[in-house]
Amino acid sequence: MEFRDYYQALGVARDAPADEIKKAYRKLARKYHPDVSKEADAGKRMAEVNEAYAVLSDPEKRAAYDQIGKGAQPGQEFRPPPGWDQGFHFSERAGPGGQGEDFSDFFSEIFGRARASRGRNDQHARVMLDLEDSFTGATRQLMLGDRALNVKIPKGVREGQVIRLAGQGKPGDLLLEVQFNPHPRLRADGRDLYLGLPVAPWEAALGAIVPVDLPGGALNVRIPAGAQSGRQMRVRGKGLPSNPPGDLYLDIRIVTPPADTPKAKEHYETMAKAFDFDPRAQ
Amino acid sequence: MTEPVEFLTLDELCVACALEREWLVVRVQEGLIPATGDAPEWRFTTTTLTRVRRMREIERTYEAAPELAALVADMLEQMDDLRARLKRAGLD
Repeated sequence: MEFRDYYQALGVARDAPADEIKKAYRKLARKYHPDVSKEADAGKRMAEVNEAYAVLSDPEKRAAYDQIGKGAQPGQEFRPPPGWDQGFHFSERAGPGGQGEDFSDFFSEIFGRARASRGRNDQHARVMLDLEDSFTGATRQLMLGDRALNVKIPKGVREGQVIRLAGQGKPGDLLLEVQFNPHPRLRADGRDLYLGLPVAPWEAALGAIVPVDLPGGALNVRIPAGAQSGRQMRVRGKGLPSNPPGDLYLDIRIVTPPADTPKAKEHYETMAKAFDFDPRAQ
Repeated sequence: MTEPVEFLTLDELCVACALEREWLVVRVQEGLIPATGDAPEWRFTTTTLTRVRRMREIERTYEAAPELAALVADMLEQMDDLRARLKRAGLD
């Protein structure tokens, strides 16, 4: 177990008064707020800051931490000395962010008993899925503390949806929030799927039937003659296979072939002569 | 046993967010947290989970008034909506 320097995490001196610790925490909570922060590791830093504040804002925990931390260096392999906690009694107080599940092994080892007696922990967790999982259904193994849970993800599951695991919370049910990993081509919004569909200029002008590759299988769609870039086409019922199923929205993007050979250039020049066309004309 | 949840009850929301019942009741009655139905048989959508957790964090971190926390949550929800629109348009 590595020693954690909570003073360093909040950027305060070891003898910083309580109000200074609070101020430092609030500044960092703003900097690493997961909804607004541009920092790459904002979520991880926020968890560290929450953990540090959970200890340093509580006089009993802070005193215990100062006691065991004498001479310890951050990152150093660390074991608390036997009997270190005699004379300390941790009150049953929730951490500032209520994010106890993100706290480190170091925290659990030192303050584990206090947490265990806290009683009311969040009964929710997040599960990261791929969009493909919604098409097939999936099974995921989740680690919740020292418990491994096999979770069956139903087909048609949507981002933001909550799945109930009966009897797996302490006490009661556990609620699992679904989030999708980013997909290289597809975007999901509720039950609906969005996909950019590249088409050749002649497919757009003349109309065509083109294949679209989806996790649920390939699909042929008809591009109407005269389609323009930016046009959106809806394919009913081809979104996520929920009940009812979502729709698939295809955003047409006309892609021109490169004029990188004399022959190709000639074709473009022929077109330029053949069409009396100004795309900027009102 | 797994099942998708469409709505949460007051007690389920309390447990999911590790909150006292009174904390939620006051904020629902003040109109800061949306619910359907009549007290105490309120029903909450699953998106309310995120709102409640955001409000809880803002109130605790900054010792903020519930109304201010609700205002921040409103703005974050508007941001979520705009980000979703950008994503749909392929502009994210």
